[in-house]
Amino acid sequence: MTGSRLLGIILIIATVVLVVMGTIHPNQSGAMIADSRARLIGSASSPQDAVNNLMQQIGRRTWEAAYASLANKGEFTETEFVRDLNGNYGSLRSYANLDGFDSQPLRASGDEAQVRARMRWASVVGIFEDSRDLRVVRNGSQWEVAWPIVREAKVPPQVIPVNYLRWDVVYRGAEDDWGAQDVEAPHVRIIAMHPVDRGGGVVILGEVLNEDVVPAFVTVKASLLGSNGSTLATEDSFDKISHILLPKQVSPFRIDFRNVRLSQVDSVRIQPSANLVAASADPVIGIEGQKLTPLPDSSLTGSLVNQSGQVVNVAHVIGTFYDNKGQIVWVADQYPSRALLPQTPVPFTISLPADVSNKVGSYRVVASTYSSSRFQ
Amino acid sequence: MQRLGFMERGAPPIPLGLIFLGAFLIHAPLLLMKLPLKSYDTNFHIFFASHYSHHWFDPWNAKWYAGFSQTTYPPLPQQWVAIVSRLIGLDMAYMLVQFAAIVLLTLGVYRFSKLWVGARAAGYAALASILLGSEAFLVYSAGQLSTTFAAPLYLNSLPYLYEWMRWRNWRSLLKGSALAVAAAAAHHATLLFGSFLFAIPIVALAIIDVRESRLAHVGSFIIRTIFVTALVGTMIAVVLLPFWIALINYPVTQVPIPHPSRSNYILNPQWGVNFFLVPYGAMILALPFIFMRGSSSPRLRPLLLGFWVAFLLGLGGTTPVARMLLGRAFEVLTMERFAYWATLLALPFIGLLAEELIDRYKWRAVAGLTLAAGMTCAVAVSWASFRPADAEDFKVESVAGWLNRDGHDRYRYVTLGFGNKIARLAVLTNASSVDGEWNSGRMLPELTEHGAGALTSSKYFGKNGLDALSAILQHADRYGLKWVFMKDPYYEPLLVFSGWRKVDDLENRTITVWSKEAVPPATPIDSPQRPLAWEGVLWGILPIGSSILAMLLVLIPDRRWAGQTVVSDSDKAATMPSAGSESSPANDDLVLGRIS
Repeated sequence: MTGSRLLGIILIIATVVLVVMGTIHPNQSGAMIADSRARLIGSASSPQDAVNNLMQQIGRRTWEAAYASLANKGEFTETEFVRDLNGNYGSLRSYANLDGFDSQPLRASGDEAQVRARMRWASVVGIFEDSRDLRVVRNGSQWEVAWPIVREAKVPPQVIPVNYLRWDVVYRGAEDDWGAQDVEAPHVRIIAMHPVDRGGGVVILGEVLNEDVVPAFVTVKASLLGSNGSTLATEDSFDKISHILLPKQVSPFRIDFRNVRLSQVDSVRIQPSANLVAASADPVIGIEGQKLTPLPDSSLTGSLVNQSGQVVNVAHVIGTFYDNKGQIVWVADQYPSRALLPQTPVPFTISLPADVSNKVGSYRVVASTYSSSRFQ
Repeated sequence: MQRLGFMERGAPPIPLGLIFLGAFLIHAPLLLMKLPLKSYDTNFHIFFASHYSHHWFDPWNAKWYAGFSQTTYPPLPQQWVAIVSRLIGLDMAYMLVQFAAIVLLTLGVYRFSKLWVGARAAGYAALASILLGSEAFLVYSAGQLSTTFAAPLYLNSLPYLYEWMRWRNWRSLLKGSALAVAAAAAHHATLLFGSFLFAIPIVALAIIDVRESRLAHVGSFIIRTIFVTALVGTMIAVVLLPFWIALINYPVTQVPIPHPSRSNYILNPQWGVNFFLVPYGAMILALPFIFMRGSSSPRLRPLLLGFWVAFLLGLGGTTPVARMLLGRAFEVLTMERFAYWATLLALPFIGLLAEELIDRYKWRAVAGLTLAAGMTCAVAVSWASFRPADAEDFKVESVAGWLNRDGHDRYRYVTLGFGNKIARLAVLTNASSVDGEWNSGRMLPELTEHGAGALTSSKYFGKNGLDALSAILQHADRYGLKWVFMKDPYYEPLLVFSGWRKVDDLENRTITVWSKEAVPPATPIDSPQRPLAWEGVLWGILPIGSSILAMLLVLIPDRRWAGQTVVSDSDKAATMPSAGSESSPANDDLVLGRIS
């Protein structure tokens, strides 16, 4: 080796060393979501390593490798495994990405261990969590996860008669004479409103009633006014409301204002707006087995049953919580991650803040639905 | 005064005219086919150019982000596209300006390479630049007009600046400075980061040459170097003054947006292919040669080190180097440009390698090199088809038509699932959007707080992207946002549950139009970022003026140098292979002696 080439060799070695360093200890905060968790998949020499490796593979959607690493893959097919995680029927899971995960050892023995894996999935309507207690078994020097498969329920062939109300609307045509009367907007009314100071902001809780005999598409907007009459902030209920209200139906709403204190607010201006829309009572969603769970896991649980014959891809559950005097103390919601198949219960859990949980005397739950035409 | 010269051996250099013809034959058909329109960013540049063509002296563009300043992005290539578009339309104007950049690159590579290697090797390097994988990747897949426009200007500027530093050639000073300023007016990232990678090796080369010559005064060399740095720096500061004002007043402090070029290419091999294999292509096979040859000649070592640093930076998150050297800028920049600059810095070595292979293996080497370079170029050109920017090609004319009629353009809109078509739509419609593709120019808090790119591609940014989308939909009233055009049904549940209603559909029901009730018409955002009138005037005159000045100055003929190639005995012994004998590795250099 000549001295003159030493620099080249040093640079080559340095490059290799730097690549190895960057691969063993990757810092990929700037990388894309799925890639930002990419690590070298190491050997599963401990139960937690095995779970972490599996979670990484799920996050990167390398289903084949994830399935191949399981201890109990003989009990189900790869398709069933993917459906368990990824959902089916256009549910929220179908398009969700693993946003993060935690693993927590529960117990361990020589050949078997149990690890709790909490997966956080990012869906189009927000984050949902999926917690699984995983049995991890030793296979030689390696540990393998026995996946607790949750199979989608199969709906038996049947005929489901439907008998529901439906409202169609014929609007004024574009070619009608000027001044031709259009259909009148439905009448809606705010029947409850309660502002609370919470988390460094103001939250407006309330209920809106469709007091008309036709369906209404409802949005509630609120403005916080200061002592001099100036508008401090204006927000709307966004998805914390059931927007389509059938006649005489009531929906809770919640409007969040960040960075405004209740002490700054002199008055609140609520502006409900309603439009006449075509609507139907179908699909009818039954809410069964509602149960309030006390602290520390304060929540309202229950299950949704799709009583119609069509698949509901995404459901939205909104709970209104009242104190013993009947005043609203909280409004919270949840999107179950699985599709509602006909006659098949799907559990839901609406989390409650700990301080609210003690005040709850009663509650009411409403559900709204989304069905993509592609799945009907 | 005598100047550096090179003693050539073997075949004569390839004439520049032939190299330009090669560039024409390879790239003219591809550009006439408008292939870059498939790329990620071409429509973005056309959108900027479209604004300049209508509002030359007003850089405030109301069509994206409810209004943003185009002074946040150096304007030169887009302004040229705007000028040429008056004759041949925006699309073909873009192609023409891009073609000019490609031709300028061959000239720049030739002139830059001649500083390091002989004319024949420089000719091969210039020829290789036509088929360079990274160039084809940036032109046809990434659509980075500004990067590919600025780099050739720098490459053409540096030899002039070298001549100034070494021989105090005033004409070279003028030409080099003007070209460097024009390059800065073309692309800020190339100015702020790339210029160092190119300029520092040149300064080091000049130092080596000055020290070797023994005749030049080191003190005067240092003064000339400082002078030219100050001169160019001052001129850039003036020409891009509105840019600096925008950058200083509103630095890019938003939450970093992920980009795959910053990932580890080994852990994410799909991005390794995209950002390493495709841009480098067959050049990867030459890496050992580059390192060995670069280190064996003292005069090539600055170039080798410049290449090495650019190479490491171009590897993104594969090594810790980019994050360490760039700091916060690592979270803002995309890394493929460093790979591009690395390949440009490698071209003199490639020229050298080609020369030696051809001398040794004759036509077999020619065939092999042509095949390797051709395949590299072919793969990079076709990469836009293998990994298209948009999974689905569709027309946005119907959307633009819908927005432009019945007063729909009184409100703002956002698209979902349109990919980079949003720039094309923005060119065609009069309506304003809250979305956009120029992340560094946006100021809406809903967008800057969440670390996601364009809203139309929210889902690819996971929770951050969907949070940004929710935030902007939640504040629809604030921005007069009444319309959502949805191509990707993924977003439908969000719209349904958050109070939007489907009101129309387009393109055979593949695009649905959603509306929100009671949204007030859009009003102009009273933004402090809006440039003042005098800034608009400067922006409309100085950058384009700098390029016109550079062209005029370059036309001034160079002084004929009296000096002929002179080879010192010591250099000859060290680098010149003796005729008819097999050269030792230490004797393989083409860089011969010189007397100043």
